[in-house]
Order: sequence, then structure tokens, then C-alpha cells
Amino acid sequence: MNLVRWWSGLVVAFVLLALLRVYLPLPFAIEILIFSIYTIGCSFLLGRVGFISFGQPAYLAIGAYATAFYLSYFGTNPYAGLLVGLVAGFVGALAVGPLLVRLRGDYFALVNLALAVIIYYLMQKVLVDITHGDNGLELLTKMDSTPVLDISRPGHLFIFVFIVAAIVWVFYKYLDDTIYGACCLAVKVNEDKLRFLGYDVFKVRLTAFVIANTTTALAGALYAIHQGLVSPEMSSPARAADPVVVTILGGAGTLYGPLIGSIVYTGMKDMVSKMIGNWELIVGFTLVVIMLAGEKGIWGTLEPRLRRLASRVTGGKFGEAE
Amino acid sequence: MLDIQLLTSGFIFGLSMGSIFFLMTIGLSLCFGVMRVISLDQLLYYTVGAYIAYSVSLVIGNLWIGILAGIVISALSAFLVERLVFRRIYERELPFSMITSFGILIGGVGVVKLFWGLVPRPVAMPIDAQVFVLGTEIPVYRLVVIAFAGLVYVGIWLFLNKTIVGKAIRAGIENVEHVEGLGINVSRLFTLIFIIAGGLSGLAGGLHGPLIMVEPQMGLEVLAFAFMVVIIGGLGSIKGTLVSSFLVGQVVSIGSLIYAPLAAMAPFVLMLLILLVWPTGLFGSPMLKK
Repeated sequence: MNLVRWWSGLVVAFVLLALLRVYLPLPFAIEILIFSIYTIGCSFLLGRVGFISFGQPAYLAIGAYATAFYLSYFGTNPYAGLLVGLVAGFVGALAVGPLLVRLRGDYFALVNLALAVIIYYLMQKVLVDITHGDNGLELLTKMDSTPVLDISRPGHLFIFVFIVAAIVWVFYKYLDDTIYGACCLAVKVNEDKLRFLGYDVFKVRLTAFVIANTTTALAGALYAIHQGLVSPEMSSPARAADPVVVTILGGAGTLYGPLIGSIVYTGMKDMVSKMIGNWELIVGFTLVVIMLAGEKGIWGTLEPRLRRLASRVTGGKFGEAE
Repeated sequence: MLDIQLLTSGFIFGLSMGSIFFLMTIGLSLCFGVMRVISLDQLLYYTVGAYIAYSVSLVIGNLWIGILAGIVISALSAFLVERLVFRRIYERELPFSMITSFGILIGGVGVVKLFWGLVPRPVAMPIDAQVFVLGTEIPVYRLVVIAFAGLVYVGIWLFLNKTIVGKAIRAGIENVEHVEGLGINVSRLFTLIFIIAGGLSGLAGGLHGPLIMVEPQMGLEVLAFAFMVVIIGGLGSIKGTLVSSFLVGQVVSIGSLIYAPLAAMAPFVLMLLILLVWPTGLFGSPMLKK
């Protein structure tokens, strides 16, 4: 029974997601899935560990460029490219993590954003010989088709991204249940008390940082495959707020918030840019309004009501425990 | 390789760049020091200041009046934003103000795009004269920019140390509750600081206009440098902001003389090194948000 309860939410969410494929154009559905993988790292950092990171584009770009470099210069197998992106994200996060997680919250946010901008300049100007600057690296034609699930084709890519997203969500739900997940929450609420309990706060923070940013780099690698083009635009400072906006829109720290946030945000951006082509205006003021209206987000507001509804329908079997 | 002429012009270039950084970030620093908010929207007032200076100087033909108008409009928009938005978020955690002000910045950039379009606009240099310093030609305008920063620093110093309002602000940096306990209207003090900060950011934008092109994204482009300046100097410290803006200005300028792409990277390396030693910057206080 516990097993059923544990999996039920996930299954419902992903069945609903699979329906996206039926009702939405394919690239749009893939975009939503990748964006939600991108956002869950940020949501985990913000809602569970209490780190606000404006530097997520930095790690997205690390993953995307690692994949792009591999596919442009070394190999042709997109799966290997994804793996390279994932490993690059892990190594990158591990390299800057020890310095960053030591910092106080305000400095952490600022240094992270600075890091994103530096990577932007690095890719746009300094490494222009290998990144082709603003023109970007084209890899659509560089990918070989692979047996079984050919991710160089959009239809198969959707299935692959869907599976990856499902694995990521199972992983984060599992993480919430472990002692480590509780430690993360404790870091957010009161790190002194955690220290008294004998946990190493630095280690908890570093692990969370690496987990979240490796996920982000994975999203970057998937973006590279999906778009077939990687340009510095990815980590431009104007995009830095995107994951934070979506996180807060969906509800920070909640499991399904990033999914809902991504759907609403991607849809909104699509409609706005079709109508007036000035999405900064809308995104900026939406952000301010959401912040002033309350930071619980869509899922954070919806979840308790759904739980109440579910417990009424099933006669109290679901919903009370968590 | 590096002759004295190149070095002199590089040094002056760095000083003028540092001056712009100082004027731009002093608002960020003051807002953090007293209100404990990170006000990224200062970069919006910088953009607005530059655009107003550009438009007014086109119509009237005098950049100085344009800069003055820019300061007024920037201060006014800072006042409106403080009343409408920041008033409601002083009590919240720090990241909260950061996200909200980033929203204001992005939204404001959208408004600027709506009014002036996407095309970068050149601003005419108000002073064309050159002077010779150590045998190197230096544009007088850059020296004027440096003089402006010096004047503003002296002005801020006098204001903070010699006037009663300034003393209240300094006390506010130490402890806001105690200032309130003395019967000083803290809310009005906050508004005043915001107006000063917005005006100075507008001044920075207006002065920077002739040196670069005026474009909607200009605030986002200097964002990283503004961050590095406040982080290196330490959030909330005026002296730290002054020292670190000139430090960053020199590193960018001299660094680009040695190897051009260094200009964007060098300050970042400097920041990481400084943070390794002092996690709260050179002059930042280690205290947390109360």
C-alpha cells in the first residue's frame, strides 16, 4: 500500500505529461520537458536548501557546450555527447562548489550570476575560435542515428527525454524521503541546529549543489541535442532569471511545481512573443506580481486542496500521511 | 612591450571606468547597507538615465542638461518603485528582494525597448578637447567623469558625516531598530536613500552614454561588473565600493592592454581570489541580515 502511495503521484503526473504529446506540437512538448528538468535543480536549491541561484544558466551552458564540443570535434554518437555533458556538469559543479557554498546567501546569489555572465563572455568572445561566437555551434548534421531509440529524430527524442525526466523525478522524490533530504531542509531552516546534531553543513550543501547543478547540466546537454545548435545566448544575463521565475511560479521546493511552472511559463512566453515580441516586459512584471502576491506558487497553492479532495474521494486512504 | 604612453592612457581609461562603476554601484551598496535589500533595479535607473540624457541632448543640444534630466527621471522612477514595490518587501528575506528587483530590471528593460526600440544609439561627446599627460593624448571628457566621481564621493562623505540625516543613515547601517527607537522616521529615510541611489545610478548612465552606445541591454551588460564591484568591496560599505570600483576599473583596462579577452575575465578571477581570503569582501561586515 505504501508503495502504491509513493508511486501514485508520479504516475499520474507522467501520464498527464504523456498527454502533452497528443495535444501539443512535438518541439513544444520536448521544450517543456527539458525546461522542467532544468528547473527542478533550481527548485531543489531554492526550496529545499535555501540557496537562491541566479547562475543556473552557467551550468546549463556547461552541459550544452560540453555536448556540443564532443559532437562537433570528437564523436558522432549523441548518447556519448549527453554523457560528456553530464560529466562536465558534475566536474564543473564540483570544481566551483567548495568555494561557492561557503558564501553567505547574498554573496552566493551574486557570485553565481557573475559566473553565468563570465561563461557567456568566455563562449562569445574568448573562445570564439572553437565556439564560433554568436553564430553558435551547429550539430544537427553531426549526429549519427542510433539503434533502438534514435534521439537525433524529434519523435524518439521526446520518448527519451520523457524517460529521463521520469528518472529525474523519481530520484528527487526519493531524495526527499532520505535522511539526506531532511538534512537539506534543516540547512535551510536552521543550520546551527544541524551542526549540533553532528552533521557537516558544508558537505550537505556541497552535495546538494553538485546534485542540482549536474541535473541542470543534463538539461543543457538535452537542449543541445534538441535544438541542434548551441550559442552563448543560453547563458546570457537576460535569461538568468528564467529558472528562478519558473521555480517560484510553480512553487519552490515542491516536487511537481517545476512541471507546472514550465508548462505555464513556456506557454506564456510562446503566446507573448507571438503577440508583441517583447517578452521581457511580461516576464519581468509577472515576476514582480508573483513575488508580491505570495511566494507559494501555483502548485504550492493547489497541492493542499488536491490532497483534501483526494482524501475525500478515497475515504482517507491517500493524502494524510505526507 | 608596454610603453609609458599606452600605460598612461590605460590608467586614465581605467580610472574613468572605475568612476562609472562607483557611481553605478554606490546605490546598490547604500540600499544593502541600510535596508538590507539587493536592489538590482539600480541598473535600470542607469539605463533610464542614459536614455533620457540621449533624448534630451538630441532635442536641446546640450548633454549636461540631458544628464540633469536623466538624474531627475531616474530618481523619480526610483521613488515610484520604492513606494509601489520595495515598501512591501523590506521585511522579507534577502533573496526575495533580489528576485523582485530582477523582475523590475527585466520589465523595465522591456519598457525601454517599447519607447526607444532595439537599435543602439550613439551619444555625441560634449567635450572634444584633448590634453597631454606625460606625452599622451587624453580626452578631457574622461577626466571630467573622474572629477564627477571624486565630487560625488566627497559629497556623500560630507552628507553622511556632517548632516543629521546622513548621521541617521550611518546609524541605520549599524542598527535600524535603534534609529527607529530614537524617533527618526525610518520609512522616510528609506525613501530618501532610494531616491539618492536612483539619482546616482542615473548620473552614471548619463555620463557613460558618450563613452559607449546607448542600448536597452546596457544595464544587463554591466550587471556582472556591478556585482563584482560590490562583492569585492563588500556589500554595504561606501569606502569598499570606491576602492573596488577603481580596482576593477584598472584590472579591466590594464588587463585588456596585455591580452584583450582578459578584460571580461580578469575581474572575475580577482573576485574569486578575494572571496577565498575574505568571504564578505574587502570592507564588508560579517554580520548577517537581522
